[in-house]
Amino acid sequence: MSEFDVMPGNKAVAHGVRLARVEVIPIFPITPQTTIVEYLGEFIANGELDAEYIQSEGEHTCMGMAVGASLAGARTFTATCSQGLAYMHEVVAQAPSYRTPIVMAIADRTLGWYWSLGPDYSDIMPELNLGWLVNFAESNQECLDMVLQLYKIAEDRRVLLPSMLSLDGFYLSYSYERVGIPDQELVDGFLPPYEAPYPVDPTISDRWPSAGIPPPLHTTYRRLFEEVMEDAKRVIAEVDAEFGEVFGRSYGGLIEKYRCDDADAVLVTMGSMTTAARRAVDRLRAEGERVGLVKLRFMRPFPTAEFREIAGEVDAIGVVDRVVLHGTGGGSAFADVKSALYSLEDRPKVMNFVTGLGGEDIPIDDLVAMGRKVLRVASTGRLEKEVEFIEHPLPKGAEPIRLDEEMPIYPGSDGCAGCGSSIIIRHLLKILGPNTVIVNPPSCSGVNYSGVVRVPWILANYAAAAGYETGIYRAFKHKGKADKIYVTGFSGDGGTVDIGLQAISGAAERGESMMWVCYDNEAYMNTGIQRSSSTPLFAATTSTPAGTVWKGKPQKRKNMILIMAAHRIPYIATASLAYLPDLERKIRKAAEVTRSGKGMAYLHIQQPCATGWYFPPEKTVEVGRLAVQTGAWPLLEIEDGVLRLNVKPRKLKPIEEYLKLQRRFRHLSKEQIAAIQREVDKDWKSWLALEKMGKLPWY
Amino acid sequence: MVVVDRTKKGGQYVGNWRTYMPEVDYERCTACLLCAMYCPEAAITANEEGKPEVDLRFCKGCGVCANECPVKAIRMVKEE
Ligand SMILES: Cc1ncc(C[n+]2csc(CCOP(=O)(O)OP(=O)(O)O)c2C)c(N)n1
Ligand code: SF4
Ligand code: SF4
Repeated sequence: MSEFDVMPGNKAVAHGVRLARVEVIPIFPITPQTTIVEYLGEFIANGELDAEYIQSEGEHTCMGMAVGASLAGARTFTATCSQGLAYMHEVVAQAPSYRTPIVMAIADRTLGWYWSLGPDYSDIMPELNLGWLVNFAESNQECLDMVLQLYKIAEDRRVLLPSMLSLDGFYLSYSYERVGIPDQELVDGFLPPYEAPYPVDPTISDRWPSAGIPPPLHTTYRRLFEEVMEDAKRVIAEVDAEFGEVFGRSYGGLIEKYRCDDADAVLVTMGSMTTAARRAVDRLRAEGERVGLVKLRFMRPFPTAEFREIAGEVDAIGVVDRVVLHGTGGGSAFADVKSALYSLEDRPKVMNFVTGLGGEDIPIDDLVAMGRKVLRVASTGRLEKEVEFIEHPLPKGAEPIRLDEEMPIYPGSDGCAGCGSSIIIRHLLKILGPNTVIVNPPSCSGVNYSGVVRVPWILANYAAAAGYETGIYRAFKHKGKADKIYVTGFSGDGGTVDIGLQAISGAAERGESMMWVCYDNEAYMNTGIQRSSSTPLFAATTSTPAGTVWKGKPQKRKNMILIMAAHRIPYIATASLAYLPDLERKIRKAAEVTRSGKGMAYLHIQQPCATGWYFPPEKTVEVGRLAVQTGAWPLLEIEDGVLRLNVKPRKLKPIEEYLKLQRRFRHLSKEQIAAIQREVDKDWKSWLALEKMGKLPWY
Repeated sequence: MVVVDRTKKGGQYVGNWRTYMPEVDYERCTACLLCAMYCPEAAITANEEGKPEVDLRFCKGCGVCANECPVKAIRMVKEE
């Protein structure tokens, strides 16, 4: 027996992972995938799933963790999309040769170059040809069921390949549907524990997978992989049939045909648009039109034989693509369908509709119109336009409010009411002025201020922001303008202490004379409050929830100040939005240091976040002030190696005064509060000791 | 190319975010303008007397100004 619940697609995926008894789950947040791994965190926090949950500092590492865990013989799951998937790419390409049957959910989202949170397949299509199985789900039920099926397929000794489960962002990831949750016992019977054939475990195995072969064998091995892909087609069909017997639901293997009997023409769709396409076909059928629908379930391995069979039955095929392969003029599935059919003697006409890019909805009416077009091609035998882009006019948005005065940043923003980073950016730009270029990795601040700033605001890829910044700075340097323009990184803590650290470290060590400003809200806020390595001890976040087993983040925060000091850069300072004169002085100092070409200036400014720390918005500054007064956020600077504490209360207030204002600490026990107090005291003493040294000895 | 034109930029209307509105008691106000310094939206400017004036088009009603006012001259009142 199974129970039913109403849930979003991301939760359905998480239930699938829980039921599959996955053993290792490396994670990194990205919208609209994040809630998958948050649900998994909750399951673990409350003892409903026993798995290693690893909060990585970026997707490149995250995929490395997944490959490593799978190599060691653990059933492994991860999830990502868009920029995250692209950032993983190198490791994604490595996984098949290691024969790691990882399942990775992709909650599809547009990949730059025009950013959008909405789904299209520009993220997953570039990953198609690496040797992964790639499956597209249409419904939330299918999401859950396919996690189970994909593990069974991927772990089959005839396959042993990683697989992607694509679910459309928003349309599935966040949309609620009724989903049956199968019984654990049935799932255990269907999906036995994973046994890696050659685990990298010297205690039980003498043989391990290798990624190195001499060039003459490459062609042979690639051919063998194609044979494995052919075997995978059979396994996919078998597993779907067995799943149907056990759970009473099956999906048709590589494709599903809907109302294709006696059809003159078919539409081909994938993912959630298929449901709208079913309704469009129903409507046309009701009018007596002989049109059917083919749902493309697996893009890899590609259902070549199935399409060749369909080609013998219809006169026209209309492929609906949510992606463009630039330089080919059309979409991805279109290219594959055409190439599958080309060697047939007798071929139907194949046309392509490119639509729904950037996450735009694909309405039933549009699909009806597409259906009519394909039918017309079928009946006339004439194809005038091979590819059609379905475009809609832009609804009118709000106009900016024009003000007399020119300001580097105008009033208003998209930030939450009371957002502390708004206070910080305004003071920063007030001092730096109009000749500033802000380089901004993805974060709350990009969403909040890019619309109201009057200075160039360059959205940079997350891990590469300090790279973008260095490039801009060096170009100005080369043109002799480096002392006239402030090139400034403005980044959250995630973009600084985690995924951005490598590029910042490189720039600091090379002595790039530019500023990096980290506004530290102590978590990944833009993706919905996941922990970063700057999240303080025991704080609850959505990836370190407080449950029956977990009690908030178990680790202390990273000491980024000393990391920067290890680079011997000329100026480092912490600051607070509650101490504005101190903050402004430090911004001036940082500007002066970078303008004189002395090297990097690094500012780390605490930013209380009402939304993520759970306090009322009017308390933003009050919370910041208490952080300084309790020693939770010491104000200090390191100038040419000389460390000075800028605010030294005679006696620090008890840390509890600071903690009790914030619901992220609501779950704390007395022991935990005492432990935090001990850590604060220890840190404070350490800073005092460093101050006493005069100059840090390694400078 | 999609380009940003800084000469066409301006403030962002957020007045409809508000449920509470700041009300300044000008008798009490000492013109320290801490409220303006802390306002996350830069909605507060100084009037001719050097006292705060809230441009409600840009005010989200967060209450930071009222919370930070050292002489409690700003009150948050429910919007009509
Ligand atoms: C490579 C990559 N991975 C993930 C994301 C998704 N993402 C956007 S913002 C963000 C978190 C931002 O956190 P932080 O840097 O601390 O800034 P905040 O939002 O807290 O201001 C993440 C994970 C992304 N844009 N690119
Ligand atoms: S979540 Fe926090 S950091 Fe982000 S806009 Fe809201 S208050 Fe600011
Ligand atoms: S309520 Fe908030 S947004 Fe409005 S004026 Fe006061 S500080 Fe500014």
